[in-house]
Amino acid sequence: MDPIVDAKRQFTRREFFGKTAQGIGAVALASLLDGKSFAQNVANPSVLPHFAPKAKRVIYLLQNGAPSHVDLFDYKPMLAKLRGEPVPDSVLGGKRFSSMTNTKDKLLLPNITEFAQYGANGMWLGSFLPHTQGIVDELCFVRSMHTTSVNHAPGINYFLSGAEIPGRPSMGAWLSYGLGSEAEDLPAFVAMTSRDKEASCGQIFYDFYWGSGFLPTKYQGVKFRGSGDPVLYLSNPDGVSRELRRSMLDDLAKLNEEKLKDYGDPEIATRISQYEMAYKMQVSVPELTDFSNESEETLAMYGPDVHREGSYGYNCLMARRLVERGTRFVQLMHAGWDQHNNLNRQLEIQCLDTDQPSAALITDLKQRGLLDETLVIWGGEFGRTPFLQGEFDNYARWGRDHHPYGFTVWMAGGGVKPGYVHGATDDFGFNAVEKPVHVHDFQATILHLLGIDHERFTYKFQGRNYRLTDVHGHVVDDILA
Amino acid sequence: MSRFPHRFPIVITQARSWVVCLAFFGVYAALLAEEEKVSFNHDIRPIMSDTCFQCHGPDPNTREGDLRLDTYEGATEDRGGYAALIPGDTDESELIWRIFTDDEADIMPPVEHFRRLTEEEKDLFRRWVEQGGEYEDHWAFIAPAKNAAPESAESKWGRNEIDTFVLEKLEDAGLSPAPEASQETLIRRLSLDLTGLPPTLDEVDAFVSDGSDAAYEDLVDRLLASPRYGERMVWEWLDAARYSDSNGYQNDDERGMWPWRDWAVDALNANMPYDQFSIEQIAGDLLPNATQDQVLATAFLRNHMINGEGGRLPEENRIDYLVDQVDTVSTIWMGLTFGCARCHDHKYDPITQREYFQLMAFFDKTEVTGSGRNPHTPPVLDLSTEEHARGVEEREQLKIAAAEELDRVERILFPRPEGELTIESERAKSITNGAVQGLFKQKVIDRRPEPLVAIIAEYGDSEPEYVEATRKYIKAYQNLDIYKNERPIVMVMADTVERDTFILNNGLYDQPTEKVVTGFPAALNGGDSNIGDWNRLDLARWLMSDAHPLAARVAVNRYWQQFFGRGLLEQVENFGVQSKPPVYESLLDWLAVEFRESGWDVKALHKRIVMSATYRQSSRISEAMRERDPANELLARGPRFRMQSWMLRDQALALGGLLNETIGGPPVKPYQPEGIWKEASFGFITYEQDKGEDLYRRSLYTFWRRIVGPPVFFDSTARQVCEVKALRTNTPLHALTTLNDVTFTEAARGFAQRVLSGDETSDGRRLQMAFREATARLPNRTERRTLEKALTKYRSHFRSDRAAAEKLVSVGESRRDTSLDVSEHAAWSTVCLMLLNLDETLTKE
Repeated sequence: MDPIVDAKRQFTRREFFGKTAQGIGAVALASLLDGKSFAQNVANPSVLPHFAPKAKRVIYLLQNGAPSHVDLFDYKPMLAKLRGEPVPDSVLGGKRFSSMTNTKDKLLLPNITEFAQYGANGMWLGSFLPHTQGIVDELCFVRSMHTTSVNHAPGINYFLSGAEIPGRPSMGAWLSYGLGSEAEDLPAFVAMTSRDKEASCGQIFYDFYWGSGFLPTKYQGVKFRGSGDPVLYLSNPDGVSRELRRSMLDDLAKLNEEKLKDYGDPEIATRISQYEMAYKMQVSVPELTDFSNESEETLAMYGPDVHREGSYGYNCLMARRLVERGTRFVQLMHAGWDQHNNLNRQLEIQCLDTDQPSAALITDLKQRGLLDETLVIWGGEFGRTPFLQGEFDNYARWGRDHHPYGFTVWMAGGGVKPGYVHGATDDFGFNAVEKPVHVHDFQATILHLLGIDHERFTYKFQGRNYRLTDVHGHVVDDILA
Repeated sequence: MSRFPHRFPIVITQARSWVVCLAFFGVYAALLAEEEKVSFNHDIRPIMSDTCFQCHGPDPNTREGDLRLDTYEGATEDRGGYAALIPGDTDESELIWRIFTDDEADIMPPVEHFRRLTEEEKDLFRRWVEQGGEYEDHWAFIAPAKNAAPESAESKWGRNEIDTFVLEKLEDAGLSPAPEASQETLIRRLSLDLTGLPPTLDEVDAFVSDGSDAAYEDLVDRLLASPRYGERMVWEWLDAARYSDSNGYQNDDERGMWPWRDWAVDALNANMPYDQFSIEQIAGDLLPNATQDQVLATAFLRNHMINGEGGRLPEENRIDYLVDQVDTVSTIWMGLTFGCARCHDHKYDPITQREYFQLMAFFDKTEVTGSGRNPHTPPVLDLSTEEHARGVEEREQLKIAAAEELDRVERILFPRPEGELTIESERAKSITNGAVQGLFKQKVIDRRPEPLVAIIAEYGDSEPEYVEATRKYIKAYQNLDIYKNERPIVMVMADTVERDTFILNNGLYDQPTEKVVTGFPAALNGGDSNIGDWNRLDLARWLMSDAHPLAARVAVNRYWQQFFGRGLLEQVENFGVQSKPPVYESLLDWLAVEFRESGWDVKALHKRIVMSATYRQSSRISEAMRERDPANELLARGPRFRMQSWMLRDQALALGGLLNETIGGPPVKPYQPEGIWKEASFGFITYEQDKGEDLYRRSLYTFWRRIVGPPVFFDSTARQVCEVKALRTNTPLHALTTLNDVTFTEAARGFAQRVLSGDETSDGRRLQMAFREATARLPNRTERRTLEKALTKYRSHFRSDRAAAEKLVSVGESRRDTSLDVSEHAAWSTVCLMLLNLDETLTKE
């Protein structure tokens, strides 16, 4: 007789989740351990949310590398009219660019895709985004984004943490710190990454993109991996069955409780639940990544990549499954948008990889009634220059450089106006001229949608009360539903 | 319009404040006579700093109503018949009225400020003004004084000066110290604190059986003299020095800075005085007749990240690197947040933006331009040997061979005349993939490996031979690159460039304004403005001089944190006015002066700390103390906290009998889950795990890739910027690491093997031995029973599942003693894995 298999009979999974070992009681994994997180360090009044939230969770589809707004979202006929002409000085205004084009001629390049109008409100969209065209009535476009950074890592960091240099908490860390998780046995903040099939470029994913900065490290995003165990060290060592693990953890808990009785250190109690949570995660994560209960229809909607672990399509479906289970912030990053010299081919490939899954995610969330309370954001760290990088006669090598002065992001669900366009760039798609939205405004607005006043949501570090929005930011009221 | 001068008729003001005061008067009248003195430094300034200084502080650019409250002169200035502060007069002091009023237009802090004052805080202000409204200089900006250690009535307890400070405070609080911890706890505590490794059973036995005071001191001396001491003490220094084996950012090229790491370990082991340790790292190159080691020490300043991202503007990088150096030096030696003054005058501390750039000017004289990603950017110290040179040559040849082979295969696919590039071949004309086109315009041997990933993506399905040859070429190129980069060509400091340093508007690299020269911050220099034509050596000497009030305090506090889990000043990174002064301010100051007067003797400081009765207390927590002082601020018990993850790994290696005690040398690559580097680098960098003994080196020698640090070291600093604060959280992911990582599983089976091969033969004795190895103490009866039952269960389990047993005892690469029964070994391995995960084992108690 094997006592451990025997013990298993008394311990079905359902029972386990009802009754955790040794009377610790069901503890939510919320924010990894501490239950509904309570922002202790938030200056008074410390109760979050500050007001009724519109959105409960966020899926941020971060298009790493900077998608070309003038080819996808921001239709500018003027570019075709003045093809090959230099950008007027009045527009250029001595602005700096990356070292790749900073000192070169800046000649206007028309949109390389065909634009047409879609949806009830006649939204302009480029032809590379056929699936986005179908959900355009759900989307809220901000066409007047602008930022300060002209390089990728600082630019992405700026969007995620409010600062260019690493060291501050990422948005998801702020939210898991402030709001905790609704998930019983999954992390509050999950990051996933994917890249273009052609492997054209390498803006790598730094772990500070989902870092907790000066917040305690338990608030950092848990990076789900694209291959192997989705969470590091999730699988038992070879030769250790689940039943043996259960049995060992029960014995471990007994020993730890004995110590707790003797020493009275509350840390020991925390340790006991920490180990229970780890055990729970070993069930909940494989369950999360098991798509077998998804309908054929749903899977088809996300496109052919949905079965390929670590692809954008796979990650989009994972994002839905995560928010469904209560994860607060899903940060999905897709690299490959950095078209300096292969715009025509690469942009299309990027869109093929991302367009269908992005649209499917919106549709899927809506069908399940989750979109109302889930804010979905799609956007890069800046846009791309309306002028050409490269030479006009070398079509295959056309490119666009980094462009922080005006670009587009879209949002959907979670309290933003559907079928709406906010702000505008000038006739060249160059500068955000109408209702410009700065990165800190964008962040203030996201926090607002989650019921948080960005000015009152602070954490004291090095003697200073830090905010996600630094000392800036205004909520963009116009886009609130 | 500014708020302050706008004033209602005085009659109303007085009436209101009278009402407010009346309300309080009833409550406090009785207490007034014996009311405790409110301390400006401890009670008032922290609140002011948090709520007033943003608008009424040192930064003139954001000052409201031309009122500053951070100085007595500012607060008491006559503002036309009234003043914010009239000492002793709560009725007439405008600030009292402002904080007590209900009028939203006048209340301070203003309604839109996120912070409200609590009733207690308001009352503190009232009492402070009543008691005379005195200002004190910020404690940390005044030179520390070595006030005589307090005399204590109950002197039996104390062992050294630390204890008299602690006992005085405890007596004031009506508390008594905890009893001394058991001998077993003490030896484990000491061993972990001083060497980062647990004691062996022999060491425990010898210490426990002796039991004398002399034995304790002998043990301390022995541990301080162990070479393991430097390896343990260096860890926090590596964190602070953002030491890493790669550049960070895109490409994340390997670098060869490890000789500096070895320098630091050696210096700590040799007990190099802290002033010398500091001066050599900041300015060793400028010392007269600088030795090679002194130049090597300055690699400390060059440990910063290097951003080689394409399109990055060099000047922006250059300024970033300087900013990093200023932040690192000011955090480590001044404990101040200088970084706040990069864009504007500091909001809380008396540091101007000009002073920030005066400090930057000290570092601004090297030839570094910020361009490129060379991990050996000059100035460098080349410590590579002929052997290295031969290694480079060998790998160079292998790369050439791989390129020739790739060229041969490519020619078959893309035929073209000799001497022409691949792009000229007929077949290449139809290619639309820009990256591939770009590659085909280069000779094979000139191609960098990164873009070649595009070839693999393009031809992965159709041309296996071509892809294989490409992969081999990439591999050969990388092997060469990594080897070349890892050579100990160490980036160091050398002042060879005359360069003007400017104040940067908003801290932006492209907005220089006024030129500055080198200078020390006046507030730390006895208020004297202090600028001149100086160099880093002057800076280093000034930092370590008596004139500078912070270096010793900050260092002592950091070390205290290492032993007690938190600093005497909890904010180890900030001694500025925003941090509440420590409860044990006088102890910190006493230790700081003593440290300096001892000739900056680090081992003597460590010895003093661990010899104290305070340190030797038991860490048991009573119900009452758990509520009264959960953070152990008062030190009425010993320290108890989970060990750092690196120490957990070292402990596991030691208990598993696997630890390789080799000191120093190039970094090693122990176990790491597959694919981590690959995923972080887009498939470009592969982790080539080491074999054999290198798997078991101490954690500090583990290769640290900056874009993705070793995952087994959870709760570690990122080694991206200077970090000095201890990180300690609990997440289920940590439990998964120590339960499932190969390191711990293999250590568990090694541990089991040691137990089974030892002298003990009975289960009971063996379990007792294993438990003692992990915790240094004997299990009690309940624990023994639990262990015995567990073993019986596991044994029975593995007897019925030998296949599983076989797998478990095969985890890891170390060899197993095959004479041990597989099921038995597996059962014991499970017990040992449990013991490695016991709270007590994970904890320094």
